[in-house]
This record gives sequence, C-alpha cells and structure tokens, in this order.
Amino acid sequence: MIDDLGIKDAFASITGQALLQALLVIVIASLITMAIQKVFPRVAEKLGGKPRLYLLASVPLLRLLIILSTIVIVVPILVEPSFENMVAIFGALALALGFAFKDYANSLIAGIVTLYEMPYRPGDWIEVDGQYGEVRAIGTRAAEIVTPDDTVVIIPHNKLWNSLIANSNDGTDNLMCVADFHLEANHDVSRVRDLLRDVAFTSPRTKTWQPVLVIVFNKPWGMHYRLKAYPFDPKEQFQFISELTARGSAELARQGVKFVSVPVAVN
Amino acid sequence: MKDKAKENNDDPCLPGGLVPVDQWVLPQTSVRRSLKDAIRHALEQLHAGVSQAEEPFESMDELPELSAAQKRRLAPEPGYADQAAAIACGLEDARKDGSLSREVAFLVAPPFSGVEQALACFSGPGQSGSIEGGGEEWRIILPPDVLSFDDQEAGEWWDRQDLSRPWVIPELADFWLRCLSGLALVKELFRRIANGDTGAGIVGCSSWCWRYWGQYLENAQMSPWTPAPMDAERLGTWFTRLASGSGSRVLTARMTSDGQYVLPLEKPDDTEKRKYSTFLRDLAALSRGNPGVALAIWQRSLRARPDDDAKLEEADEKPTKQSCAADCWVVPLARLSLPAMPQSKESVTGFVLHGLLLHNGLDMDSLETVTGVSVYELSLVLSRLNRAELVVCDQTSKRWSVTPIGYPTVRRHLQSWGFPLDQF
Repeated sequence: MIDDLGIKDAFASITGQALLQALLVIVIASLITMAIQKVFPRVAEKLGGKPRLYLLASVPLLRLLIILSTIVIVVPILVEPSFENMVAIFGALALALGFAFKDYANSLIAGIVTLYEMPYRPGDWIEVDGQYGEVRAIGTRAAEIVTPDDTVVIIPHNKLWNSLIANSNDGTDNLMCVADFHLEANHDVSRVRDLLRDVAFTSPRTKTWQPVLVIVFNKPWGMHYRLKAYPFDPKEQFQFISELTARGSAELARQGVKFVSVPVAVN
Repeated sequence: MKDKAKENNDDPCLPGGLVPVDQWVLPQTSVRRSLKDAIRHALEQLHAGVSQAEEPFESMDELPELSAAQKRRLAPEPGYADQAAAIACGLEDARKDGSLSREVAFLVAPPFSGVEQALACFSGPGQSGSIEGGGEEWRIILPPDVLSFDDQEAGEWWDRQDLSRPWVIPELADFWLRCLSGLALVKELFRRIANGDTGAGIVGCSSWCWRYWGQYLENAQMSPWTPAPMDAERLGTWFTRLASGSGSRVLTARMTSDGQYVLPLEKPDDTEKRKYSTFLRDLAALSRGNPGVALAIWQRSLRARPDDDAKLEEADEKPTKQSCAADCWVVPLARLSLPAMPQSKESVTGFVLHGLLLHNGLDMDSLETVTGVSVYELSLVLSRLNRAELVVCDQTSKRWSVTPIGYPTVRRHLQSWGFPLDQF
C-alpha cells in the first residue's frame, strides 16, 4: 500500500546530510520550546492580573507555532518538494487526519442537528452527564454551560447522539424548583402539606400563577416531602430553593415537627 | 348563573358604571404610540449599571405648571361621596335585574380608582339602607392593628365583627400580610362568605390583592365587579365634571404644541370647525383606564398663563354670570416625562414595589416581613424610589405606597421582571 501511494519513492532521496540538518532543526526547535515553557511562567509569576494570564496563554500558542514552523522547515529538507512527492505525503496526512478528526466532524454534524431540533438553547438550564448549568453559548462544535459554581463546562454536540439531556426550562422562563424536607413520622401530614404550600405562596419570588405542589412519600425512615414551585426568574432558582428550605424548616420546627437526621459513625 | 353587565353611563362620577371583571377591556391607543412606548421601554431595559442621574420629572415647555389654586379649580381631587352614591346605585341596579345575586358583592379595582375611599363613605349620612332597603346603616369593618393570627384566632376575631348586619370592607388588602401568620384572617373571611355565613356586605379589593387570592384560593369564584375602564370619552366627561364643580363652567383645554382641542369633547352637532387632539385617547391607554392615574398625569400636563388666575377668580366671584370658559393648555404626552425607574441589577426593587402594590401600601416593618429584605436595605431602596417619584411615604401613618404618577412605570417594569400582575 505504501508503494502504491508513492511514499517509498518520496523518501528515497533522503541523504545522511539531510537527516543531520533535519535533526539539528528539530533539536533547536525543542530547545526553544523548552526555554519558552520554563521562562514565560517565571516571568508571568512576577506580573499580575490580565498580563499574567495573557502571557501564560501564549505558551501553548507559541509551542504550536514552533511545531508548525519546524514541520515547514524539515519536510523540504527530507523530501524533494516535487508534485508527486507532495501528493503522496499529503494523501497520507489526509488519511491520518481523517481518522483523528472523526469525532470533530461528528460534533459538527450534531451541531447542525441541534440548530433545528433545539434540544437546548442559550438561556436553558440543562444537565448532561451530571453537569448542570445555564447554556451560555452554542458553538459549531460544542455548547458552553455555566454551572452554579461559575464553572464553564464545554459539552461537545455529539453528546446529543447517545446521552440523556435534561432541559429544565426548554426555552421558557418556567423552571420548577423543588425543596426537599425529610421529616420523622407521626405528625399531621395534611397540616404539613398546607403549611409548605403557604411557605411557597408567601415567598416574594414565587410565580403564583404557576402550580404549587406538595408531594409526600412514605419512606421507611419517615416522610419525604417535596415542595414544588416556580420562581419568577430562573436565575434565582437557588436563592428560591434556599429560601423555601429555610422558611419551611423554621416553621416546621416551630410547629414541633422533627426532621430526620442521618446517623454519623464515629471512629 | 353567569352575571351580566349592567350599564350605568349616566353618572359622571362613575362613567360607565360597574361591570363584571371579566368584561373589563383595556382602552386602546394607536399602533404607532404602542410601538413607541414598547421601544422606549426596551431601551430603558438596556441601560446597564446604576444610573446616577436620577432626576425627578422636569417640565420641558415654557409655560408654568399650575399653581395650587389653579389645580384646585381646574383639576381637583374627586369627591368620593358622589362616587359612593354611584357605586351604591350601580349595585342596586345589578341586584334588581338579577345580575348580582350574591349577598356579598366584591368590588375589585386597580389602585387609585377611588373605590376604597368611596366605600369608606358608605357609613356616612345619607347612605343608610340604599342597597338593601333595610334601613340599616352600613358598618365599616376596619382591620386589626396586628395582622398575625392563627386559624382559631382569626375565627374568633370575625365572630366579634357581627357580619349579620350590612357591612363594608373598604380595602381587603389591609387585612393580611404575605407571611405565614398573615393569611388566616382573609382565608377565614372567604370561607364564611362562601358558606353563606354572613349577611349583606360589600368588599372592596385592590386588583393586585385580588389576583393573589384568586390564585391562592382557586376554587373561590366570587364573580367580582369593577368600575368600567375610563376611555377617552369618559375621561373627558369626568375631567369636565371635576373642573365644573357645582357650576356650569365649561373647561376649554388645548394642546400647547398645535392648539388642537382636548376639552370640551367633540359633539356630533358641533357647528364650529375645530380640530381635536388624540390626547385623551392616549391618556386613557397610558393610564390603562385608571382614573386616579389619569388624573395625576392630567394635573401634570396642564399649563396656564400667569394671568389666568385673575380670570378664574373673576369667574368665581360672579357665579350667576353665564359660564365663562376657563382656558388652560395641555402639554403633549410625548413631551411629558413620567418618572423613570432607577436602574438596578438587584431584584430587591421589584420585591419592594410588588409588595407595596399587593398590600396597598406598607410601613417599614411590614415591608420587611413581606419581602424578607432588611430594614437597612429597604431604606436605601425606598429613598431611591422616592427621589424618582415612584413611591411616597405618608407622614402620618408612615406607610409607603406607589404614587399614581409612577404607577404606569412601576407596572411595566414589574411585568418585564416577571412579577405576577393584576388583570388591569
């Protein structure tokens, strides 16, 4: 196969001197790269703020530049740059790159599918592979989400093919929030449900025209309540849940309803 | 049985009479104006950060604003006793034709409609037995000083109020607070009304408060009534009535920009060739048919020449003389800057304004209870809103409330921020 591609002929003209020249170029490039990787971070440590970040970010870029430059210099040294030789080499390169960029192309196609299926949009709160956050941008290859801890997570679009994507608000400003309460048994369930409903209705953040629900499950350890309501702004979901939890807990304690606590092992 | 509308267009104190809430329609304006308002509001929303230039409204034309005396003559506050009589008449007519069959009538109206003040006049002289014909005086039920009750305490409180005789609650929003212990009183009242445990009564309720309770008690269908919306014609009739007082003075108001007539209203048999402005139509749409808001904007838009005081005094001194026209000038709405919302990225401003509208005004402690915002932060927010003329504090009761002139801006911003709104 290599003979069919003409690669053998392409490399037939390599001489010892050419090899030494190429090796010298590679060594010089490596030394420059190592110097940049050592010196730039030390210089950056002495700077502060944004200049430090820009300098650190320039290290991989310079490294890439040096590698590309090295390739551009070495290849003509080793291979006579004739038309047939170039076709042979680029053909092999294209084959290798095709396999390497398989996943990238996969994500590009998935990105196109995303545009018309719209499983998520900017402003949606989604969960993919355990990462929950607000979609900040949808790029060609990947989507960016910002988690509640202000971390940016890049999600390739090809996750669309075989991952479950949970969208909390699906392009609207209706995002249901759930506050959980784990209570000991032996209390008036109806009264607690009414109380938790009032907790939601008396919150200044509640969308009162959306349903407010209190679901209760009987568990072996007690009763599990789930207070479900909608805040007027999806961005305030965490403050909303915190407020419901805090006020609900305070009122339940005042009514004498006890919470379940998990036993902690002490060594 | 579905309640039907009963028109009562004759009374100038309550133009359009009372209508069922589900038949209330927002006054319309031109598409061009609606688009301009929407674009202006969108541009306001795009301002980022906190604006330091929060200046109150400034007049942009050269004529002076009305003096206090001129305002009392040309655009005085309405007399609520007359409105009370009109409401009583409207309810009586509704009962006679079967539109209103319930013992307890609910009157829901947006803030500044005057319904609360009118209902407070029900216990005054001359109002006894006007609806039921029983000859009994209406009793005004006032809210308790403290609004925290549990269910049992609320029941006991209402037991002491004697709802068997004709009673009136001028404003239901004064009977509750949006906190866990502040709901019991109103819940118990609705329960008693739904069960028929009360005698004849009238309950006035702010539209914001009604919206909340309608969502909290989904099954409480009370078929409320409301004053008809003030469209252009009704506003003109009402403004004319306010200015004329007891005399037959005809108010003539013209635009400062092009001299087109605002008042008197155009008549079909008018022989004079006059050009009439669309000011009243735009005002009706801007104020959303709310008479109190419309009056506040009307008062701000009126201008008079310095020598008009003398003309008005002369007209007052010679009441027997044939009515002489009292001229005043009207600034176009486009040149009239209404109070602007201070820019802020925090949602505290919305909590405060929505809380004030929900409860028809609150003091600082109650506002803290309702919003969960500390008194310190509330004082900062309220001072900013006060400088922007969006809220005002009553010095006697120390209650903060939204101003009528700021109400359109407040409502629009609450809508943009996603807060629950009333249906008016």
